[in-house]
Amino acid sequence: MKRILGTPASDYLPAAALWIVTALYLQTAYRYTPAVRAFPAGVAWIMLLFLKIDLVSRTKTTRGGALSRWLNHAAAPAHPAETEAPQRARQAVAVLWLVLFAALIVLVGILVAVPAYLFAALRWQGRRSYRACALGAAGATLFVWLLFSVVLRIALYPGLLFGGA
Amino acid sequence: MLAVWLSGFLGLLQFRELLFLGLGMVIGVVFGAIPGLGGATALALLMPLTYGLEPFTALALSGGVMGAIPMGGSITAILLNAPGTAPSAATCLDGHPLAQQGKAGLAIGAAASANSLGGIIGTMSVLAVLPIAKQLVLLFGPPEFFLLAIFALVTVASASRGKLLRGLITGALGLMISFVGYSDVTGGEWFTLGSEYLWDGIPLVPSLIGLFAVAEMINLAAKGGTVSRSADTVKVTGMWSGVIETFRHPVTVLRGSLIGTFIGAIPGESGTVAAFLSYSLTVQASKDPESFGKGNIEGVIAPEAAINAKDGSALIPTIAFGIPSGAEMAVFLGILVLHGMQPGPLMLMQNQTEIYGLVWALTLSCLLASSLGLLFVRPLSLITLIDADVLVPLVLCVAFVGSYSVNGEIENVVVTAAFGLMGYLMIRFDYPRLTVVIAMVLGNTAERSFLQAMQMGDGDWSIFLNRRVSAILIACIVIMLAMPFMRALVRRVAPRKEARSAP
Repeated sequence: MKRILGTPASDYLPAAALWIVTALYLQTAYRYTPAVRAFPAGVAWIMLLFLKIDLVSRTKTTRGGALSRWLNHAAAPAHPAETEAPQRARQAVAVLWLVLFAALIVLVGILVAVPAYLFAALRWQGRRSYRACALGAAGATLFVWLLFSVVLRIALYPGLLFGGA
Repeated sequence: MLAVWLSGFLGLLQFRELLFLGLGMVIGVVFGAIPGLGGATALALLMPLTYGLEPFTALALSGGVMGAIPMGGSITAILLNAPGTAPSAATCLDGHPLAQQGKAGLAIGAAASANSLGGIIGTMSVLAVLPIAKQLVLLFGPPEFFLLAIFALVTVASASRGKLLRGLITGALGLMISFVGYSDVTGGEWFTLGSEYLWDGIPLVPSLIGLFAVAEMINLAAKGGTVSRSADTVKVTGMWSGVIETFRHPVTVLRGSLIGTFIGAIPGESGTVAAFLSYSLTVQASKDPESFGKGNIEGVIAPEAAINAKDGSALIPTIAFGIPSGAEMAVFLGILVLHGMQPGPLMLMQNQTEIYGLVWALTLSCLLASSLGLLFVRPLSLITLIDADVLVPLVLCVAFVGSYSVNGEIENVVVTAAFGLMGYLMIRFDYPRLTVVIAMVLGNTAERSFLQAMQMGDGDWSIFLNRRVSAILIACIVIMLAMPFMRALVRRVAPRKEARSAP
C-alpha cells in the first residue's frame, strides 16, 4: 500500500474527505453577508485548522508523533487493516441492504417495502425457511400497520410509484 | 408550603388518579422504547383524550407518561444501541458495550435504579427550588447561554477518551450540520441546497436513529453473530447487581441528578444536553476515564440519573414562564391550557395543588416504570442473543418507520440512512459520535445567544467577562480544555517517579 510520510495513504482519507466537505461548506458560507456568515464561517475555519492538525498528526514525523501523543493518544489507526475490521465484502453487503431498503421505502412505500425487505433479508441473509420468512415478514408488517396506522393514525407513506409526494 | 406538598400527594393517591398514572406509565415505557416516538408523540396523542378528564387526573396521566419515557428509551439504548429517545443516546455509550459483554441485566438494573434515584433527587430539588425558581433562571442571559453551550461541547470533546482532537473535529462537524435550515437570526435559509425539507434544519431524532441504531446495525451485520458477543456469558440475572452498583456510586448519581435538575430548569435546554453533560463530567472526574465507552457502569448511571432529574425541573420554565424546555414540554403546555391552566407566575400561586400533584406523579411514575423495567429485564436481555441476520432487518424496519413517523416526512428515511452510513464510518475510523450529537443540539442556541450577547455588548467581547456567571463558565471551559493535557502530563511524569522510587 502506498505510504505518505510513513503512514498508509488510506489513513489520511477521513480527514481529507472532511477537509473537502468543509471547504465546500465555507465556499457556500461566503455567499452570505459578512455579518450573517460570521458564526458558521468561523466554525468552518476552525474545522479546517483542526483537520490540518489531524492530517499532520497522522504522519510518522517528529511533529506528527508529538501532536498525536498530546491530542489523540487513544485513537485507533484509521487504516482498517490495523483494526478489527470486518471483511470488506460483508461491509459492502450490509450497506447495500440498508440503501436498498431505504430506496424501496421511498419508491413503493412502507407497507410494501417492509414485508418485501424482511422476506428477502431473512431468506438470503438469514437463510431461514420460506415459511419462517413469510411469517416474520407478515408479523412485522402487521405490527407496523397496527401501531403506526391504526393506533397512532399516522398515514404510512405510499411510495413515489403509488402516489406519494 | 408543607400542606400544599401533602395535598398534591394525597390528591394523587385516589383510585382514578392512580389508574391513569399507571396507564400513562405503560404508554410511556412503550413509546419511550420505540425509536422515533417518545414523549412528545405520546402526549400529543393523549391530549384530546384528556379533554373529558378532571385537570388533576389529566396531569396524573401526563406525569405517568413523562416519568416513564426515559426507562423505555434506556431499554432499547442498552440492548440494541437504538436510543428510544434522544437523551438515551448517552446511555448507549456504555450501556450497549455492557450488553455486548453479556451484562445487559446489570446495565438495565443500574439504569432503572439510577432513573428512580435521579427522579427522586430531581423532585426534591424542584420542591426546594420552585419558590425561588424565577430568580435562579434569570441569572442566565444570552452570554451565559452561549458559554454554557460551549462548555457542554468542550466537556464532551475532552471526555473523548484520549481523542480530544477527533472530538473537537466531530463537534465542529455537528455545529456545521446544526446551521443548516432557516435561521431566526438572519431571517433566511442557509445551506439547504434548495431543499424545502431542510428549511427546518436536519431533524434531530431521525439523525440520532441513524447515528446510533442504524450505524450499529450496519456494524453488527458486517461482523455477524449476536449483539452479545458470547451467548454463554449473557447474565440475565445481573439486574440486582446493577441496582447495587448504583448505590455504590452515590456521587455519580448525585452529580447526574443535580446536572439534570440544573439543565432542566434552563429554558430551551434539553434532556440530551443534561445526559451528555452528566456523562462527560463523570468521565472527567473518573480515575479510569479510558474504561468509558467500553462498558463502565458509571457511564450508564450518570446519564440516567440526569435524564429523570431533568424531567421534574423542566417543569419550572414551563410552568413559571410558559417557556417549554423541549417538544415534550411544549405539548404538555397545550394540555395545561386545554384544562384552563395558564402557565406563568399566576399559575404558581393559583394551581399549587395541581403542580405539586404533577411533580409527585412524575416521581411515582419513574419509580414504577423502573420496577417494570426490572421485572422484564430477563426476557428483554435475551434480545441480545438473537442472530444478527434476524435482528438487523427487524430493527431497521422499526428504525426507519419510527423515523418517518416523527413528522410524517419521507425525507426522514433518507436522513436516517445517511446518518447511519456516517455513523458507521465514524465507528470504523474511530471518531467519537457523541460530540456530533451534542453540537447538533446546541448549535442553534450557541449561534443565537452569541449574536444576542454581541448585540447586548455593542460588539464588545468583554460582555463575556464582566458578568459573574459568565466568568465562572469561562474558567470551567479553560479547565476542561486543559484537563486532557494535565492527564497526559501526569501519565508521563508518574512512571518516571515510580522508576526513581523503585529500589
